[in-house]
Amino acid sequence: MEHTEILNLWKSYDQKLEQALSINKATAQDVLKLKTKSVLASMKPIKLFTLLVGCVWVMLGSVIITNLFMYAYDKVSHFFIYSAAIQLILTAIAIAIYLYQLVVIQQVDVADSVLKTQKRLSYLKSSTLWCARILFLQLPVWTTFYLSESTFLSGNIAYITINGIITLIFTCISVWLFLNINYSNKDKKWFKVIFEGKEWNPIIESLGYYREIEDYTKENK
Amino acid sequence: MDLNETFLKVIEDHRGILYKIVRSYCKSEEDRKDLIQEIIFQLWKSFKKYDNHYKYSTWIYRIALNISISFYRKNRTLQTSSLPLEENIFTFQEIEIDKEKEYQINQLQVFIDELKEIDKAIMLLYLEEKNHKEISEIIGISETNVGTKINRIKKILLVKFQNSK
Repeated sequence: MEHTEILNLWKSYDQKLEQALSINKATAQDVLKLKTKSVLASMKPIKLFTLLVGCVWVMLGSVIITNLFMYAYDKVSHFFIYSAAIQLILTAIAIAIYLYQLVVIQQVDVADSVLKTQKRLSYLKSSTLWCARILFLQLPVWTTFYLSESTFLSGNIAYITINGIITLIFTCISVWLFLNINYSNKDKKWFKVIFEGKEWNPIIESLGYYREIEDYTKENK
Repeated sequence: MDLNETFLKVIEDHRGILYKIVRSYCKSEEDRKDLIQEIIFQLWKSFKKYDNHYKYSTWIYRIALNISISFYRKNRTLQTSSLPLEENIFTFQEIEIDKEKEYQINQLQVFIDELKEIDKAIMLLYLEEKNHKEISEIIGISETNVGTKINRIKKILLVKFQNSK
């Protein structure tokens, strides 16, 4: 079959549609009455629940920690207060990124060119991975919040050494994960273990799609 | 004519474009119903800020292709649900058509279905005889790149036709 034959075939298909196809205006009219779902209403209940729990955790935690900083700084363990503050700040940043991404996705202009819109959408969707990277940075503070100045004054070298090693290991793991959670490692075993499940699949796919689009825009490929 | 009526007239005038795009990005009838609802809704949302610097067809192609590609990608992993409308937006009248031609059209549809999302969009625009400038405006790549991509996709389609004989 030649190029012109394919074009002629398509033209005859077009003619067939022209004669046979019509729009049911009453039904189309009903679609226009559809109300835009809010960002939150369009989320799955489990995601919404997790997000709400996260927000409540950050808000309550912030109130408690701010009060401790202001009125009881000398009475509480500095390890606890700083560990908790770091944990809350990192959680707040992750939630903010997630919410920002959700809102911006809804605002992407679909009347823009196909590649521009698709690139922006895939970039925004894949940015959820940033939340995971930031949340992993919390790991070390879960090994320090229960320490106190008296732990070091007690002179229990074995306990201090073991705790120090654990904190060091957690710090290395969290920094390593922060640096290595990216698309180029998507086929590694550790990556698959962390990001297994249908919730993560679309996000990992979006990353791949983003790269595909970047590649597509290059000339002569 | 009010905004609502103007919009419905535009949609009716471009119904062929909408049908062909929906047909190319969705295999199941249920998905097509969902997709056309979503496209019409997004076109309506965007209609109030329509930029008349572009033709209606360019504007429709951009929105319909963007929504279809996103829908296609989302639907590979998730299920979507449509508004429970009683009637379909598209309605068909039975018409006589040459059986051989119908077979070839179906075959062409199958080959187009097998293309990647963006290649599929470029091929649809090429078949609609859009020039390189228009395709470049809709897809967002340079005119030279449009030419290169079209030649590559045409070769793929021709090979598929030859292999099917």
